[in-house]
Amino acid sequence: MSYHYVVTAQKQTSVTACVTGNFTSPTDLNLLVAKVSRLEMYLVTPEGLRPMKEVGLYGKVAKMKLFRPPYENKDLVFILTARYNAMILEWRTGANGDLEVVTRAHGNVSDRIGKPSENGILVVIDPQARVIGLRLYDGLFKIIPLEKDSAELKAASLRLEELNVYDVEFLHGCANPTLILIHQDTNGRHIKTREIGLRDKDFIKVSWKQDNVETEASILIPVPSPLGGAIVIGQESIVYHDGQSYVAVAPPQIKMTPINCYCRVDSRGLRYLAGDIAGRLFMLLLELHEKMDGTQAVKDLKVELLGDIPIPECMTYLDNGVVFIGSRLGDSALVRLSSSRDDTHQYVLPMETFTSLAPIVDMCVVDLERQGQSQLITCSGAFKMGSLRIIRNGIGIQEQASIDLPGIKGMWPLTLAPDSAHHDTLVLSFVGQTRVLALNGEEVEETEIKGFLSDRQTFFTGNVCYDQLIQVTDEGVRLAGRAGAGWCVTSQWRAPAALSVVACARSRLVCAAGPRLYLLLLHEAAIELKAEVCMEEEVACLDLGPGEEQALLGVGLWTDISVRVLRLPDMTPLHTEKLYGEIIPRSLIISVLEGVCYLLCALGDGSMFYFTVDQKTGVLSNKKKVTLGTQPTVLRTFRSLSTTNIFACSDRPTVIFSSNHKLVFSNVNLKEVTHMCSLNAQAYPDSLALATDSTVTIGTIDEIQKLHIRTVPLGETPRRIAYQEASQTFAVITMRVEKLEWGGGEAGRALDHELHNLLILDHHTFEVLHSHQLMSSELAMSLMSCRLGDDPAHYYAVGTAILNPEEPEPKKGRILLFHWSEGKLVQVAEKEIKGGCYSLVEFNGKLLAAINSTVRLFEWTSDKELRLECSHFNNIVALYLKAKGDFILVGDLMRSMSLLQYKQMEGSFEEIARDYSPNWMTAVEILDDDTFLGAENSFNLFVCQKDSAATTDEDRQQMGYAGQFHLGDMVNVMRAGSLVAPHHHADSAAPTHRPVLLATVHGAIFLVAQISQELFEFLQQVEERLSHCIKSVGRIPHAFWRSFNTDIKTEPAEGFVDGDLIETFLDLNRDVQHDIVKGLQIDEGSGMMRDAKIDDLIKIVEDLTRIH
Amino acid sequence: MSVIEFLKDLPSYDANNFTLFNTDHGIRNCSKRPSIYLPTKDIPSEQIIVTQKTNILLRYLHQQWEKKNNNSPKKRDQTHIEQNGEDSQQRKRPCLSSQIN
Repeated sequence: MSYHYVVTAQKQTSVTACVTGNFTSPTDLNLLVAKVSRLEMYLVTPEGLRPMKEVGLYGKVAKMKLFRPPYENKDLVFILTARYNAMILEWRTGANGDLEVVTRAHGNVSDRIGKPSENGILVVIDPQARVIGLRLYDGLFKIIPLEKDSAELKAASLRLEELNVYDVEFLHGCANPTLILIHQDTNGRHIKTREIGLRDKDFIKVSWKQDNVETEASILIPVPSPLGGAIVIGQESIVYHDGQSYVAVAPPQIKMTPINCYCRVDSRGLRYLAGDIAGRLFMLLLELHEKMDGTQAVKDLKVELLGDIPIPECMTYLDNGVVFIGSRLGDSALVRLSSSRDDTHQYVLPMETFTSLAPIVDMCVVDLERQGQSQLITCSGAFKMGSLRIIRNGIGIQEQASIDLPGIKGMWPLTLAPDSAHHDTLVLSFVGQTRVLALNGEEVEETEIKGFLSDRQTFFTGNVCYDQLIQVTDEGVRLAGRAGAGWCVTSQWRAPAALSVVACARSRLVCAAGPRLYLLLLHEAAIELKAEVCMEEEVACLDLGPGEEQALLGVGLWTDISVRVLRLPDMTPLHTEKLYGEIIPRSLIISVLEGVCYLLCALGDGSMFYFTVDQKTGVLSNKKKVTLGTQPTVLRTFRSLSTTNIFACSDRPTVIFSSNHKLVFSNVNLKEVTHMCSLNAQAYPDSLALATDSTVTIGTIDEIQKLHIRTVPLGETPRRIAYQEASQTFAVITMRVEKLEWGGGEAGRALDHELHNLLILDHHTFEVLHSHQLMSSELAMSLMSCRLGDDPAHYYAVGTAILNPEEPEPKKGRILLFHWSEGKLVQVAEKEIKGGCYSLVEFNGKLLAAINSTVRLFEWTSDKELRLECSHFNNIVALYLKAKGDFILVGDLMRSMSLLQYKQMEGSFEEIARDYSPNWMTAVEILDDDTFLGAENSFNLFVCQKDSAATTDEDRQQMGYAGQFHLGDMVNVMRAGSLVAPHHHADSAAPTHRPVLLATVHGAIFLVAQISQELFEFLQQVEERLSHCIKSVGRIPHAFWRSFNTDIKTEPAEGFVDGDLIETFLDLNRDVQHDIVKGLQIDEGSGMMRDAKIDDLIKIVEDLTRIH
Repeated sequence: MSVIEFLKDLPSYDANNFTLFNTDHGIRNCSKRPSIYLPTKDIPSEQIIVTQKTNILLRYLHQQWEKKNNNSPKKRDQTHIEQNGEDSQQRKRPCLSSQIN
């Protein structure tokens, strides 16, 4: 058996649904966003959207609708999951002021029989909240009458004559709940209304209908009372109909691309917004006229293009012209409607984007910086929102405020108010001047400190002993004391020569002028020169270590490029460490992290040496070198969450911290930082001030090891990516849809035409170096970088299919080999194949391809030709290939996985094992020689094992199941690797092996890792306890959610531990943690079992969180 | 122009909302994430949604049968019989008695 831990490294980012309402209180205006299996509640505030709570569900949200029963003063939300769990949720402020989510009603509404509708689930709620309507299965309509006082809500199925229903809504202002629906039969599409009798639970009558509306009519918009009726949106026309009157328009703007979502703007229902699948926003305005009887009726429909938005999945109007656009093909956004058009002539102004990786189609794992920490490059988004995303473990800075100030050379926080625990002043130094900023609440204003020089560059300033301030400039040192409400200079020390660098502790200071070092002691209103020494070379950087009078002093020197360790008070030399090379040390720090004393010295080229320091002898050992950036680096210490960390300011800012007594280097999500200091002001507690070339930013730092995402927009759909280290490039296959106008005139219909390209990108800048367009009607399906045979060159191989609309599957395709060198892309070889090449893998110096139903091996001849060596035929469509040694794992369209072995001697394939279950595969990966991971299209994962030791041939040929698990998302790609450097979790309490990264349609990244049987059994107990302790919102049992579920079977999960559930342990309060640990047994390490303590479990779970 | 008409006086719930939204530094990227709700307190669900398990055809037949019984003359006959139960007995009794007699 094998055992696995599966955990989310990046949550799903695609937006499934969004609604605006008063959820958290009768007066709060909220935005509720559903992201697959998570709900995010936001509050609308003057500053924008404020996140409130995220709620995880044990199911995928299929539909989410808000409603307000007549007896409620806020909105409730009805959610239906993809596995037919229905729930009514309410957000409520609990006794302690925390937001809590109450499941007001719940239940499963699935039927044992019935054909799930091909047009998907539809959910509608009566405007007067009398009944919820569900269209789940063809020919049936389910109603849930909303009765306030009964303990049960009895759902009933009604027979619906219309089989092919495209949309359904409840009409406003009807005595009985009345449905309006678009349905299709052999004659075309029609709209029809149906009244529901709630007592008889049946349809009573058809009040009106309209046959033969537009053939592509797909969206119904019910119009509120008093107008009533509904708007029908088709591909070419928009119609208003209320049973009597009928107004139709055919605006030319909407003809090109279908509208796929809308939102109502005003409560009267005269204004609507609509979005189309090209990401354009339209307005829809109902114009009224007064009828003879004084009532108003619709006269005309006005449709106008407002501007560009992300390709929408859903949208909702928030307030004051601001609209939230949810997307599943890229970043979602907040936009503002404005009548003043900008220079691009748009009425839509983007305000804020919400990063989304969805859909991830392909990815590669690379270690570009060679720091042992991998990055993921994903092919994300589609159409105009297509992009590459660079995902790495990093630290995020949340910007709180920023000030435009160019040319900063240094920054320090000060406390001027007496007896204050907070900083209230920020001192900024520039070439030839110093400026002082006072922080009053959130306001920042320029001020002066009496006694401070403002016409010189400050090298250091700070609060020192005896409630004094110190300022160090090139002239010397000034000490300022309190004088009434202000400050005045009490003592000065003039440097014999211009100072260049300084290090200061509370009561002492070391500064350097040229090669001379001065130790000054700070007294009350007095400065004493304690010692002076002359080094061999000029001092480039220095820092004071811990240890008061006998502190260590680290000094970096010019010319001989060395680091010296000296001991105060006499500055006796203890240790000399030559760094070699020609790059001058620029910044040096001695700091104690987790009890270990380190000396770090950054050089002018962005590299850094670091050592451990023996605090007694000053000897440096364990010399290591890392590259932090490409520019001179400035090191500063800062405190965050009561631990000391180091910030390396450079063109690739890095936070250095200690974890498990190891230094960890984590990138920061800022482009460039030149200087920084910690800041703990009243309005900005636990913050950092960061300077770039042009601005000062005040921000808070988030928890360590968060994934950090960078976007490289492509503007077309990326399909495949490959990395080639030799040429320092990435190759990306992209697809662009071009519209070809046929015939023209009225009958002219736009025809989509796919164009496929191979792009070559620089691996640092991600600049497109070259673009190669394939033949028209040729689709690029697969891509890899390879080295073949004895040929030393590295090639990009592209597998294609040539599309002929009449054929059910491609009959022809090509394998193309390209060589990128010296800025040129050369096609080296072309091989015609009889089908589409779904996958390419380098296999023992040969090229392995999955072509329609076959797996074929090509060798690279000395004449630079691909020659077929052998083939294997036993698949429906061989979609995925993975290779390890002589073994090949094949993922089939519908016949699960099989394992082939390449027989070198015979030059043939042999199928050695197969999983005979009918799984429709979406990705496969080899975990180890005997264990294989597969993902199938009902969002499940499963693990197969081959049993080489079985006695009969038949048993050996059959792969056994070693695990199954419902992931709840469709996996598009699996890659062995991890985002965390392996040494980060070397001595873990929860060792994991062979991590595999999985990326999904909804933009999530999961990690699957192997664990030992002992750990698995232990974690399974924890999981079991947690699933009882954590009350599922919507009352869906955890076991139900994680059970392997397809159309044909549902079986309990096995062989996998749900890491997402396990890791919630850390967020529980101590009492609950105690309940969970009670009675758990843990192996002491010697095989002896003992009762587990809370801290044991915290350690294990924390170590598990470190693997992603 | 209809766009101006459309964009005029857009609905406002609270006029202050989004007024302090700062776009001076370009389009903002939302990096703040909501805290995660982790309920350990059991709040009982008020209502349970149940599905009527009766087959839709059976329910239809039941309904039809009931309708028939409610509306058809047979039903009226039955009620008539029930109401005049004694009458029918009386009507039969002479027959019986005559046989006995």
